[in-house]
Amino acid sequence: MVIPTQDDQDQAKETLAFIRRTMESASSFTAVSGWGLIAVGAVGLLAAWIAWSRDLGADLWIWIPAALVCVPIATAFNAAKAKRLEVPIWSGAIRKLAWVMAPALAAGGLLTFALDQQGAAALLPGMWLTLYGAGVTAGGTFSVRAIRWMGGMFLILGAIALFRPEYGLHLLAAGFGGLHVAVGLDLVLRHGG
Amino acid sequence: MVASSPTESLDRLVHERIRLGIVSALAAEEAMSFADLKKVLRTSDGNLSVHARKLEEAGYIKVQKGFEDRKPKTEYRLTTKGRRALEHYLKQMEAILSEARDALERS
Repeated sequence: MVIPTQDDQDQAKETLAFIRRTMESASSFTAVSGWGLIAVGAVGLLAAWIAWSRDLGADLWIWIPAALVCVPIATAFNAAKAKRLEVPIWSGAIRKLAWVMAPALAAGGLLTFALDQQGAAALLPGMWLTLYGAGVTAGGTFSVRAIRWMGGMFLILGAIALFRPEYGLHLLAAGFGGLHVAVGLDLVLRHGG
Repeated sequence: MVASSPTESLDRLVHERIRLGIVSALAAEEAMSFADLKKVLRTSDGNLSVHARKLEEAGYIKVQKGFEDRKPKTEYRLTTKGRRALEHYLKQMEAILSEARDALERS
């Protein structure tokens, strides 16, 4: 092979950097903000701590506000990431992700009130974790592998919580707190924030 | 024939900057719309169409035309041939750098 000149080397380096930048920019269309997930995880841990310190378990007065607070937090972080990367905030992919997750989340909302009314509040942590896991796993089809993995883990935690409801609060903390923070960190480190 | 420069043997279809961008973006994302690709590559409609058509003719990408919310939508995907072409191109780029490193070590 002919020995490459300095120009050839510079061009090769620049081309590889261009390929990497383009791939990052393209995948960031579907990537959820890692910092957003960390913030949502922090809310999850805070909610679990409040519930634990007051011995309230899956109290709706704690968990519903926590879930509602997470919506604007996640939206703001995703929008900030999209803006930083100069990609459309409401791109086709993120829209699909939201629509695919919506039925599972709507079912979760409905079941929350039905189970609570029927006095089956002990099943709420398992149901929340399972349905959120189902939504994230399906929505993750349009995102990076870490999101799909997170969905699968939520399903496993949910399954445990459904059959061992006495560990419900621990599993809520592990899922909505721990898993969100862990996957958020992974996105920050490997998928640009 | 022996190439006089390492860049001469590169696949010209992939080497052109916009086409390289299209192929790279589609290697990271399974399917992308025309509008999303245009944003990622920061190029014009005309430029993107011309280069995407060349890649389509070569069988490197697949184009699917349809409608979303009654608006026409064009979606692009990388074919196996296109992915192989990008992988081969990346290997060539890496070879240029490792060849240069070897030459430096020998000197």
